[in-house]
Amino acid sequence: MKVGMISFAHLHAESYASALMQMPEVEFSGIYDEDQSRARKWAERFGVKQFATLKDLLDSDIEAVIICSTNADHCRYTVAAAEAKKHVLVEKPIATTIQDANKMIETCKNNGVKLQIAFPVRYLPSVLEAKRIVDSGQLGRILAIKATNHGSMPGGWFVEKELAGGGAVIDHTVHVIDLIRWMLELEVKEVYAEYDRLIHDIPTEDCGLLTMELTNNVFATLDTSWNRPSAYPTWGDVTMTIIGTTGVLELDGFAQKYDLYNNEIKKAQWEYWGGDMDYFLVRDFLLACKNNLPVKVSGEDGLKTLEVALAAYKAGKDHQPVKTEDIK
Amino acid sequence: MKPGLKVGLIGAGTMGSAHAEAYRVLDNAELVAVSDLIYERAQAIAAKTGAEIKTADQIFADSSIDVVDVCLPTYLHRDFVVAAAQAGKHVFCEKPMARSLQEAEEMKTACEKAGVKLGIGHVVRFFPEYIRAYDQVKNGKVGKVAMVRCTRGGFPLPTAWQDWYANYALSGGLVLDMIIHDFDYLRWLLGPVERVFAKGTRGRDYNRLEYALVSLKFRSGTIAHVEGSWVSSGGFHTRFEIAGSQGLIDYDSRKANPITLTVNKKDGTPGVPVPASAWAENPYTTEIRNFINVLDGKDGKIVDGNEGYESLKIALAALESIETGKPVNL
Repeated sequence: MKVGMISFAHLHAESYASALMQMPEVEFSGIYDEDQSRARKWAERFGVKQFATLKDLLDSDIEAVIICSTNADHCRYTVAAAEAKKHVLVEKPIATTIQDANKMIETCKNNGVKLQIAFPVRYLPSVLEAKRIVDSGQLGRILAIKATNHGSMPGGWFVEKELAGGGAVIDHTVHVIDLIRWMLELEVKEVYAEYDRLIHDIPTEDCGLLTMELTNNVFATLDTSWNRPSAYPTWGDVTMTIIGTTGVLELDGFAQKYDLYNNEIKKAQWEYWGGDMDYFLVRDFLLACKNNLPVKVSGEDGLKTLEVALAAYKAGKDHQPVKTEDIK
Repeated sequence: MKPGLKVGLIGAGTMGSAHAEAYRVLDNAELVAVSDLIYERAQAIAAKTGAEIKTADQIFADSSIDVVDVCLPTYLHRDFVVAAAQAGKHVFCEKPMARSLQEAEEMKTACEKAGVKLGIGHVVRFFPEYIRAYDQVKNGKVGKVAMVRCTRGGFPLPTAWQDWYANYALSGGLVLDMIIHDFDYLRWLLGPVERVFAKGTRGRDYNRLEYALVSLKFRSGTIAHVEGSWVSSGGFHTRFEIAGSQGLIDYDSRKANPITLTVNKKDGTPGVPVPASAWAENPYTTEIRNFINVLDGKDGKIVDGNEGYESLKIALAALESIETGKPVNL
């Protein structure tokens, strides 16, 4: 199976490319990137072809593409790939507007290609284990969820609203909302949010806190802040505390680490040694394409998480809870 | 008899016992009287401290008593604090100050009128880890504070006299009774709160446990998240994370236990590891020592009625938000 990659604007592209290189049954055909020098750099790094135009890539015999462009470009690349009958794995968030997300879903459906959103956290071994525990019923009825998806400030286009759709809130809302929807089969009904630019000299917010009303009378909070300082031992976290009537589950997705102390780095570092979620994500998507199975994370899943992020922006601006059904 | 201030303690439950121990070790205060509806409880404290067992009215009427320490359920604070003030006693009152702002106002007024000091038991301000973090933040160690997360709890709903904690009208549940500690600490650290939004389990599905999550926006810009839990999850613990423009403080009491003791059972089967802390001075003693020192004209710190009132306001706003589903502006 041949796979191409569109844009290395998002830093996850490197990891997905590495995953492709590890799969003997997959041929990583090459890279197209609007930024020619970036395309050259990564094509050389992975020893693959650099496509001069998007058309060249889409006219080739690849069956699927992985899109790691800016968030605002997800729609245009997905639509082009779908119309060329290529399956699409697109970086999260699905898009920056509901209209774009709907267009992506529609176009992929009409062209009979698969659309998967890159929510790799679902593939973390610790998250799979947590889901197994939730499914076992040991927690009883779920009452509340406390979650964090902290990060470091990524800079670049991530802090430009036109390209990213926002800042810390859109970047770090979608992963955990996807986990809540998938692990607990709950939907977000209403969102309240506090967000602000409090740390960095950037155009978007760097701190965010969502408080949500979910289906089944469950409530939740999610901290999306880019507030890990450069001295912090790792990039950030994904954590969930799930409160049930008969048990409490605490998940720390990247707790499988040891502490590294190195005189040259001058700070403690957490070395994560748990499973490689990006590899499992890419492999799962390609297996679904090859065997014509439904993808694990659909465009609709991506759309639902985007709704929550957009509701958070409205709520944070108005200082009032916002119903997700009102997000159009 | 020790020299110093004479103290009468009303309420000999968990907090009363902690305060009694403080008076026992202080040089400049003596617990001379203790009162409780449950005679055995008063007796236990009397045996340890040499205090006489008396009724509250006897304590108020005793002109040799300088200080009344009120360790009663929240809904009784107003009546006893006002009576103590009217009897001309300085008053130390456990937190939360009262069940309503009206009651707290009456307590403040009574103490001001009588010219006596009122201290509220916001003991977290006397815990060394919280003091150290406060000092480091004030010294700029994390830069401008952006985002704070606090956690308190991890044990089941406390059971006490008449199960009063379980009565929301009397106790206000965990938001008023427990995470007011964090509201008070955060207000001390960050200044006034602008907006409160909160969610809790109360009135939803299950009343055998309580859990609440509170979102605070401070006038300084800082956003804070406070978690309160009367849900068993490995026993009582506290956490705070203070993230700023220059750094981050991360504390988890579960990772700060100097002692872990595992004792195998008599039949040789493995025991359960029990982690424990160790204090240079019990923070309740530090708190009482500070209060007594102020009365004694020495260096000390009081969390006074005004402070107790302001922290109460945040907790009541959180309860209002839980009830209405709307944010509350302060």
